[in-house]
Amino acid sequence: MEPSQLTRFEAVVLPHLDAAYTLARYLMRDAHDAEDVVQDAYLRALKYFDGFRGTGPGDSRAWLLAIVRNTAYTVRRGRRADERATEFDEALHSEAVADDHPEAAVVSQSEREELHRAIDRLPPEFREVIVLRELEGLSYKEISDVAGVPVGTVMSRLFRARKRLQDALCGEQQEP
Amino acid sequence: MTHQNFETQLDAYLDGELAAVDVRELETHLAECPDCARFHQGRVALRAAIHTHLPVFPAPDALRERVREALRATPREHIARRVVGPVIWRSLALAASFAVVALGSWRLAQRRAGAETLAQEVLASHVRSLMPGHLTDVLSSDQHTVKPWFNGKLDFSPPVHDFSGRGFPLIGGRLDYVGGRPVAALVYGRRQHLINVFLWPAVGAAPGGPAAVTHQGYRLLHWTTSDYTCWVVSDLAPPELDDFGALLRWSDSIAAPPM
Repeated sequence: MEPSQLTRFEAVVLPHLDAAYTLARYLMRDAHDAEDVVQDAYLRALKYFDGFRGTGPGDSRAWLLAIVRNTAYTVRRGRRADERATEFDEALHSEAVADDHPEAAVVSQSEREELHRAIDRLPPEFREVIVLRELEGLSYKEISDVAGVPVGTVMSRLFRARKRLQDALCGEQQEP
Repeated sequence: MTHQNFETQLDAYLDGELAAVDVRELETHLAECPDCARFHQGRVALRAAIHTHLPVFPAPDALRERVREALRATPREHIARRVVGPVIWRSLALAASFAVVALGSWRLAQRRAGAETLAQEVLASHVRSLMPGHLTDVLSSDQHTVKPWFNGKLDFSPPVHDFSGRGFPLIGGRLDYVGGRPVAALVYGRRQHLINVFLWPAVGAAPGGPAAVTHQGYRLLHWTTSDYTCWVVSDLAPPELDDFGALLRWSDSIAAPPM
């Protein structure tokens, strides 16, 4: 890695630091963990910058976010290794999503708190599509590249994630 | 547009991902159907709530500094070092520099010839693999079966992907021998076509590529990342194979290292 390459990397990839940190915060749900994930992701990105340049689909932002995403999942998997957590199951989680908001009975939740709780309770595969679409403004194609799933799957995850968030908000609004 | 279509298309509409012709049809239906209009309202309200309440997190300055420092601390590689001799040796050095140039072009020619030989070997291996019973040693569309199969058979663990969702299903893997060393061969499919991917550690090779060559009607792609040298060969149409190559490079580059 020559100094000029590092300069170029910094010019192209460092501007996406806020986007990277935002995605990491939502996936890790912890500021300190998110910082570690972002730093690891940047080192990985630097290593592969030459191979990526001008060859892969999508721009450097989607590419960096994909690395952040996979780094976050690796860290989470490592943590849960001995918890024997169930793997994400497209069909299973899709069916169960709508009914899971016992906190809807809690009165006087503000819309803001309700939304935060709802997004925290989403499986990460649903949470990430909301963050990538609504907060980062990625296209379906870019989200599909980042998450490594077909565009059709991106659309169905978005649909179900939104339904779940909406149900949580409606539950809150219907309270006296 | 039917009711059911509407629910699935409304998100695409709000996300600006719906084709213009469908947009018109959907807007017409929206004006006529109170149920769908209500559904639309709900989605619009949700988007407003998300944008109002879910924060974007600006990276703390400390993190920005930390990342910068980590990047700069990364070992520098591939920096050519030039030995400078004393002044009295200048003429000799000049002569030597001609020799270095000559050596450089000879090396370049060697490398080109090397790539040519490698291309022939890769192609021969691809054709051999198409003969009955030669395609795979491990036949599985599951990356978590194929990857561990290589344990103990190679001195590296090749990245294996499942691209079935992208129209390139994994078919299996096998051991092969290319360029004087054992390599991983991964087989992916595309309709009735087969794609062979050959991988081995990039020892001493500078990252580069992708480059494409055509031999006897087969297209071959090759590139080197900081970890692997990779050759891809198939009789697939060039644009499709290039798409596959791009997908492979993308997936390798974003894969998080094992922790």
